[in-house]
Amino acid sequence: MKKILIIEDDLLISSMVQYRLKKDGYETILVQDGNEGIKAIEEEDIDLIITDVMMPFKSGIEIIHHARKFKPDVPIIVLSSLGAEEQIVLEAFNLGVADFVPKPFNPNELAVRVRRVLKL
Amino acid sequence: MYNFLFFLILEILGVIFLILSFSVISIYLTIMVLSALEMRDHIRKNHFADYEDIVTSPIAPSVSILAPAFNEGQSIVQNAQSLLSLFYGKFEVIIINDGSKDDTLEQLINAFDLERTSYAYYPEIETKKVRGIYKSQNISYGKLVVIDKENGGKADALNAGINLSEMEILACIDVDCILSSESITRMVRPFMEEANRKVIAVGGVIGIANNCDVQDGTVTKYRIPTTLLGRFQVIEYFRAFLMGRMAWTRINGLMLISGAFGFFKRDVVLAVGGYFPKTVGEDMELLVRMRRYMEERNIPYKVGFIPDPLCWTEVPESEEVLSKQRNRWMRGTIETLQLHRVIRFNPRYGVLGMISYPFWALFEKAAPIIESTGIIYTFILLFIGEFSAIYFFSLLVLMYLLTLLISAFSILYEQISYNNYKDKKDLNRLILTVLVEPILVHPKIIFWGLKGHLDFITGKGGWGKMIRTGFKKAEDRKNLETQSQNS
Amino acid sequence: MRKVLFFILVPLFFVGTSNAIGQQNQPDLTDSVAFHDFLIKQNEVPGLSVRFILENKILTDSIPAASLFGFTELTSGGLVSSAFSQLNQFTKLRDTLKLLNPKWEFLIFSQPSSLTASQEYVANLLRNGDIQIVGQSNLSSNDLILLASKLPYKPLAQYKFQVISDYKLFVVTVIIVFFFVMALLMILFMLVFKAKKNKREQLTKDYEFLIVGPLTNLLFEKELDEIKKLSDAEINDIFPATLLSKALFQHVLIDKIIGLNKKMKGDFKNKLKALYQRLELNKVSLGNLKSKQWDRVATGLVQINEMDLIEALSEVKKFTNSPNFYVRSQAVGTLLNLSDKMDLVFLKDQTYPLSAWQQMNYLRIIKFLYQSKELHMKSLFESENQSVRLFGYKLVRLIGLVDFLEDLGKLAPNASDEEKIEIIKTYEVLGAHMQADFVNDCLLSENPKLQQAAAQAIGEIGNKESVTILENLLKSQPEFRLKMILLKSLQNLDSNQFEKFTSIQMDFDTQRIKRHLLDPLLRHV
Repeated sequence: MKKILIIEDDLLISSMVQYRLKKDGYETILVQDGNEGIKAIEEEDIDLIITDVMMPFKSGIEIIHHARKFKPDVPIIVLSSLGAEEQIVLEAFNLGVADFVPKPFNPNELAVRVRRVLKL
Repeated sequence: MYNFLFFLILEILGVIFLILSFSVISIYLTIMVLSALEMRDHIRKNHFADYEDIVTSPIAPSVSILAPAFNEGQSIVQNAQSLLSLFYGKFEVIIINDGSKDDTLEQLINAFDLERTSYAYYPEIETKKVRGIYKSQNISYGKLVVIDKENGGKADALNAGINLSEMEILACIDVDCILSSESITRMVRPFMEEANRKVIAVGGVIGIANNCDVQDGTVTKYRIPTTLLGRFQVIEYFRAFLMGRMAWTRINGLMLISGAFGFFKRDVVLAVGGYFPKTVGEDMELLVRMRRYMEERNIPYKVGFIPDPLCWTEVPESEEVLSKQRNRWMRGTIETLQLHRVIRFNPRYGVLGMISYPFWALFEKAAPIIESTGIIYTFILLFIGEFSAIYFFSLLVLMYLLTLLISAFSILYEQISYNNYKDKKDLNRLILTVLVEPILVHPKIIFWGLKGHLDFITGKGGWGKMIRTGFKKAEDRKNLETQSQNS
Repeated sequence: MRKVLFFILVPLFFVGTSNAIGQQNQPDLTDSVAFHDFLIKQNEVPGLSVRFILENKILTDSIPAASLFGFTELTSGGLVSSAFSQLNQFTKLRDTLKLLNPKWEFLIFSQPSSLTASQEYVANLLRNGDIQIVGQSNLSSNDLILLASKLPYKPLAQYKFQVISDYKLFVVTVIIVFFFVMALLMILFMLVFKAKKNKREQLTKDYEFLIVGPLTNLLFEKELDEIKKLSDAEINDIFPATLLSKALFQHVLIDKIIGLNKKMKGDFKNKLKALYQRLELNKVSLGNLKSKQWDRVATGLVQINEMDLIEALSEVKKFTNSPNFYVRSQAVGTLLNLSDKMDLVFLKDQTYPLSAWQQMNYLRIIKFLYQSKELHMKSLFESENQSVRLFGYKLVRLIGLVDFLEDLGKLAPNASDEEKIEIIKTYEVLGAHMQADFVNDCLLSENPKLQQAAAQAIGEIGNKESVTILENLLKSQPEFRLKMILLKSLQNLDSNQFEKFTSIQMDFDTQRIKRHLLDPLLRHV
């Protein structure tokens, strides 16, 4: 079973994402801020990371940096309310994220993208 | 005859002290109420502010961050990096190397691939000679500009940055400050909000980072400092920022924005000629001058203040460094008030002249003098035996209680608005500090203030080299020097 | 050391002098005349009295004023008078008896005593301070304590009066009372406030946990129609009725639903809105509009906007001219979003100046709506309010409404300088080459700000004439910043001409600006 790390500070959104992904048979780990995210990246054995960009303590960019260092093979999907043309998002793409899902989003659509990224 | 005069003076002094204590109590109680009102409004407004929108909106003003650096070789790269990662759309970071004697410039050049440019620097405000302007070859550091100039002091360095900047708003900061990634978005809000008045400057709260955990430019775990002097400053900063400045903002009478974290409208700064390098209190002096400029032209204006915790700094915990800092603050205050004495009780300058200036003159500038006179007065009464014990104790206990009340209140404020110090032990120690501060620390502050007066009178120039503690270990302190001046 | 000595010596001096004064005041009682004088002056000495003795037996009748003395017969044959304790009568009485050669003797506590014993007794009393010397100040410093014991008892009531009579003490008391009352009130207020807040925060967290699970479940498991048709019983299974009726729970639920609605797309949005209606949270939103606090009104407006509560629009309209700008802009935003009839005409009539903050809010809404709705943006140009007109020009630039360039071209020549600057910026960004002549005119303006804006824009949209104007301006020794802009625009327009010009003009400023403009590192700024 594939394990997915979800880093998102809004409890309800992460709950929605988790519910949808569980339905597809994935195992999920929920963390609510950047620091916990970093810890989870280091300690857990994961197959995919879904992260927000703006969060308490650590920005998504820092998390992506960190993930690239520790788990260079784990794909990352960025979930953000910033438009795709923003500097920060461009930076994220430069760091090699697998996909970008802008908020507002549809959990079903996210599930499709997760499936695609994990098949790659 | 002399006898009579002597007793007359005693009597008059007695009455003056009574009036003073009454006004101190009523003023501080008023300040508490005003700041509470302002805080309530701020929290309500924050509720409706979409800060994410500011980051991307083309209407949001552009911001230049000006950070003077003097002998910061050890931490400059890390500090510059965290400034560059601030969350905002249109901004640039201008670091001014103010003739450092260490490797500050080399560190920057190596870390950011800087190269000397042929920038046509035009000194609209006169500064010491600029040796070079550097930019990075790497596009991802495109926001960074480094000015290398001859040493001229903090004010002079900032002036060089102002000359170079082309943005609407100047954010003047100390380079060793830790800024929250949200700090620009929050601080520009007042500039955007007003329609009928021009916002000329916005001040922010400075938090104390001593003994806190800092990770990549944010404070992740708050702890109170280990020394009494450090803890005293935590409370003092609460009092000054959460109560004092909030209350002054309420009546638009703010006269000081901390030089470590202040935002200014560039056109007004240029119009008044930038910082005045000949004073030691350049931050206060600039704001007073900007306010005067607006008052004299009858342009409606406002000085804003944002109480959110956005900026942290290390404060000196050694008595020696702290005494120099306080001495300098006192001289800065005296100098500013001296430079702008025209506005004293001048109705033309509105709140500034009628309320702010007299308050500063009485409660900031003259406080050490008044307090020490009070003590001498008490001793004279004791000595000649014409002394009522009820008096002495009631006034003394009253003033002590007032300090307790104000300090306790500011801690409560912090708890209600931020609740950063979550550890119960920390809170208890803060309360203990509140209890002993008036006895153990306050007399020292008074003494340093008096020395400031003395130094001002004797015309002692030159700045004490202010040593600031670096972030990692206590040993780093020894060789770290920051913006010390010899203007 | 000297100071310490001083402090020890000074009090000693005082002690010494006061002792000396005390000793001098002791009267000399050793000789009988002085003793008598002292007694007469003193009049009364406790326990001491005097009586007269007539040794010869004389008829009482022959004694003048015999009744005064009350003589009784002695066994020895003489007469003895009763004892007098009023000693000042002594001389008078003695003189009355003068012819009878009277003797007298002192009695101490009714015991006849010798002169010496009496003298000693009086001296003793004096020394112990049991009597005071008449006519002498009783404040000799070394027996204050003894004196105090002699002060008559005073009730406390009199002391109260003293407090008021001493005005300083009175003022101090007033200050203290004032302080304590105020302090007590404030502390009470803060403590209550803090306790309330803590409780609220805790409850909010608890409620959040109660909401997240069931809400997620509901959104995934129920279809839109099912949500609309939820029975009361079903709702109570999800959220207990006791909780749903609580204001704070409603508040948290609304926050969660709206927060999620902002982040979700498609079907979920409709489901959330249906749920909002079904849970009757719309009534809460409408209730907010009736509040007197502006922040609650604004919150209500946000809720109406996010949840498409179209039925509330007539209420919302009332707030478009509210003096509070948060309420005002929220109301306008809501109307623009929800009402079919709403367009930007209302902005035209707004009397308040537009703050940047409002412009930012409106821009976001307009950006979102302009393609799907007729907003009558042109009406902004006709506003009486300059800040609205400026916002209109800015909108053309920021959204890229090239169609409006023609309108701008018509009104630009008659606009104020400030507006011209905004229009020229718009020309620059949208590349309005057809307006080059107008900008060329502005290059020659007296207003330095307008001139600068024109100089900058001409680099993008200039024509052949512009090059000549630029060169002429450059030759007239402009101020440094303007010179830099002019040179940059010249370089943009015609790099050959720029090269030619800068190789002729060899002055310092021109040369360093040239180097600046040619520096590849400075291109991206």
